[in-house]
Amino acid sequence: MALAVALVAVLAPASALAVSEQATLNASFSPDRLGAPTTITFGFHLATTEGTAPPPLTGMDLEMPAGMNYTTTTLGLSICQPALLAAKGLAGCPPNSRLGYGSADVEVPFGTGAGHEIPEVQAVSGPSPKGNLTVLFYANGLYPVYAQLAFSGEVLPDTGPFGSQLATIVPLIASVPGGPDVSVLSVTSTIGPSHLTYYKHVHGRLVSFHPRGVAVPEHCPHGGFPFSANFTFLDGSHTSAQTTVPCVPARHR
Amino acid sequence: MEEVIDHKASGLHGAFGHARLGVRVLAPVAILLALLAAGFVGAASSRADAGHSAGTLSLNETGRLHLTSHHGFTLNEQGTTSGTVSGTIYIHLNITSTNRVTAEVNIYPSGSSITGSATASYHPSGGIASFSGTMTVERGTGRYRGAHGTGLSFTGTVQRVNDAVTVRVSGRMST
Repeated sequence: MALAVALVAVLAPASALAVSEQATLNASFSPDRLGAPTTITFGFHLATTEGTAPPPLTGMDLEMPAGMNYTTTTLGLSICQPALLAAKGLAGCPPNSRLGYGSADVEVPFGTGAGHEIPEVQAVSGPSPKGNLTVLFYANGLYPVYAQLAFSGEVLPDTGPFGSQLATIVPLIASVPGGPDVSVLSVTSTIGPSHLTYYKHVHGRLVSFHPRGVAVPEHCPHGGFPFSANFTFLDGSHTSAQTTVPCVPARHR
Repeated sequence: MEEVIDHKASGLHGAFGHARLGVRVLAPVAILLALLAAGFVGAASSRADAGHSAGTLSLNETGRLHLTSHHGFTLNEQGTTSGTVSGTIYIHLNITSTNRVTAEVNIYPSGSSITGSATASYHPSGGIASFSGTMTVERGTGRYRGAHGTGLSFTGTVQRVNDAVTVRVSGRMST
């Protein structure tokens, strides 16, 4: 699995109390083979140059390379309803709606600064009110932040070196009821068939199968497959990060 | 097969031919009929070739296709169509982005062909992706030689589990 990490410049607003947010982004394909269905793993870390927790995250756009092939993927054959996801978690969703999974680290305002893991982040296929692929994320926090969150991202066409982007609006997470919002420090998630099992009826019997993932482009651009992420924070500041998945020589695929 | 080819109404000649006794009454009626007929026929032009009459054809087709192969972003589909014309249908459905498709459509009624292209929005949702757009009839052979039409409705669905396609084409084309 190829893995790349990049640290990028910061775009913080000029204000008296401005902090300088920093973001790192990583992405990988597994398997990493041209033209092959794959599982995309992406993750990001947010911090500030001052060493404090970043402001609460309110939005993230993840841009993915041009040429990713959605034509024959069987991911998301069923739809999960957001209300059921919020009420019951993953148990409220059909197995065939699962798209991936991951985890997150958050910082509470009264915390130690070390961050607290939200061990369960699930990605499922949601309804498409605007006709675009919709990814629903579910984060199940138990301690010290007790919150079950369902929020969505839309897969939109993109331009230039990017073929699509996952535009996600992140809801605020109250640390305690009525209290200040937590800061997101990091998130990692997969989008792909790795560790997912789907089911179908064959001659009256329920048969399990692995869904087919989105395919890696058939040609690797010079410099590798580009990924980019743009982050928006509650205070109106922005930052971004880029990374690439390197081209792997054919003999290593 | 429910073929609806609108040729220039030959009955009008009869209407004029029998207007001798009541020409004052029948002439306005005939003119009205002629105007109506011209409206139905539209821009259809007469064709000199023997065995091929010019007119317009109201297409109303439903095709059911299965995946034969895929290459890159293109699903190659084959099936049968029924409606105005019946025959084998081939579609190359090219998914150009997360929400757009283009298509090359070939219909082969017995001994003839109709070729067109389409662009459509594409909306995957769960196990079904739907598409909706317009189709241009570019050419035809045999019975449909000279076929041409624009703005035909082009809609359908893709069963994502096996990439089976149902397509509906409706609208008018000249022949």
